[in-house]
Amino acid sequence: MLELQGLTVRYGAVQALEGVSLQAGAGGITAILGANGAGKSSLMRAVSGIAPVTAGRILLDGQDITALPAAERARLGIAHAMEGRRLFRQLTVEDNLKLAWSFGARTAPLAASLAETYARFPILKEKARIAAGLLSGGQQQMVILSCTTIRSPRCLLLDEPSLGLAPIIVQQIYAFITDYAARSGIIVVIAEQMAALALRVSSHGLVLRRGRAVLQGSSAELLHGHDGKTLAASYL
Amino acid sequence: MMDDFFFSLLLAGISVGAVYALIALGLNLTFWTTKTMNFGQGSLMMLCAMLTVFLSSQGLAMALAVIGSLLVVAAFGVFIERWTVRPALQASGGSMGWVVSTLGFGIFLQGVAAKYFGSQAVAFPDVVFTAQDFVTVFGQYVSLQYLVVLAVAVALILALELFVRKTVWGQAVHAVSLDPELALVQGIPVRLLVLGSFMLSSALAGVAGVLIAQIGGTVDPAFGFDLVLLGFVAAVLGGMGSSMGALAGGLLVGILSKLVGGYVSTAAEHGIAFALLMLALALRPQGLFGRPEVSKA
Repeated sequence: MLELQGLTVRYGAVQALEGVSLQAGAGGITAILGANGAGKSSLMRAVSGIAPVTAGRILLDGQDITALPAAERARLGIAHAMEGRRLFRQLTVEDNLKLAWSFGARTAPLAASLAETYARFPILKEKARIAAGLLSGGQQQMVILSCTTIRSPRCLLLDEPSLGLAPIIVQQIYAFITDYAARSGIIVVIAEQMAALALRVSSHGLVLRRGRAVLQGSSAELLHGHDGKTLAASYL
Repeated sequence: MMDDFFFSLLLAGISVGAVYALIALGLNLTFWTTKTMNFGQGSLMMLCAMLTVFLSSQGLAMALAVIGSLLVVAAFGVFIERWTVRPALQASGGSMGWVVSTLGFGIFLQGVAAKYFGSQAVAFPDVVFTAQDFVTVFGQYVSLQYLVVLAVAVALILALELFVRKTVWGQAVHAVSLDPELALVQGIPVRLLVLGSFMLSSALAGVAGVLIAQIGGTVDPAFGFDLVLLGFVAAVLGGMGSSMGALAGGLLVGILSKLVGGYVSTAAEHGIAFALLMLALALRPQGLFGRPEVSKA
């Protein structure tokens, strides 16, 4: 269980997140929704330890990790696919995967982990020796997702995995995420602008607006709620 | 006779070129992790050589004096990272402050050395071989000191190249240089690698200082300053960040400047290196072994 208690993130004078609380359980997907600049990425970055938390607490399975440096949180099993398709562009696909594995939990041997990744995304095996920056957007997203799962994480944070991808690729990526979440039984948190998409696969959702939590509840309720307008309104 | 002259120039060029390569390697190391360079490296070269002279004059065995000096200089690397580079990188409104702060710290060290060791050149003791030790290659006398410099430079460059290419830690260093934030969220101990790179870079400067002081036979507080500039030229020529490039660039600068110095004028020795730099920046800005940025939206 990932638990945020009154989390506040502040970059200098800019308040990115204010008093947000959330409980994301293992074995299901939690969706963080909101418009551009609502604070979705700040929430993710606070959890992985690269955003300045000025108030509140972050608990992972009951352990307070608020004061831990980012590298240590990564070692505890937090894997973060950052927004903007972040990967080591100059390194080959395989080197990206190897690096992610090397500094992860290493529960399975490298060869087996690579084989599993390539079985899931055969195209990555074909492109293994190519610089990751030269892949197409969808393929890069596959590398990024694989870099997080190859670490055998306890808590997976995915920031806008659908951004800038063709609909067919988005489907493929989301199919992988839902399947992985069901198989692994870990905590999965997805930040998405495409609310309907994220709510269809998640069990629980949180809507942010200008850094504050404005709606929270089961995904079905948020998606089809008694008053279908609530969700749309929170985007305005 | 002409050939002898050419050969001796070539040899001297290879030898100083190896030292430039070592300096370039030291600059590369911190460039890998932080995209910064310690322009005060020359003072660390001087400090290491001065300390070696001092410690051995206190009756310490030569090997111990060198190792002790290297450790002190490596500790200075930690200090430089913490107090001259990190604050400059964190300061808002520009990230080039480290150029001045590292250079400034170098000048400060130079001043301290002048105060406590005097500004006169002091004789540097023989570390491995004396200036009289030589072997004969193709009928030429080749100083063993020159060969030691070359051997040390090549060995260190090969070791670093292997480390970067073959070990996961080498990959991690590369990753830190590409995207430190991404490296951090992947659990790579970025701080440790940055500190390590500054320690090793400073130690390399120390090694270069001891080696070149041995060839020159003396060391004074101003020693090392112009050498760093030439090491920088070597690093850019070879391609910033490339170890093989550092070696190639160093040898190129060393040989060319010695040849020009011998056949044209010693006054042109250093000038030609910078002419080469300008030419390289115009024709091949990524350097001999550098790779241009790879990206696709």
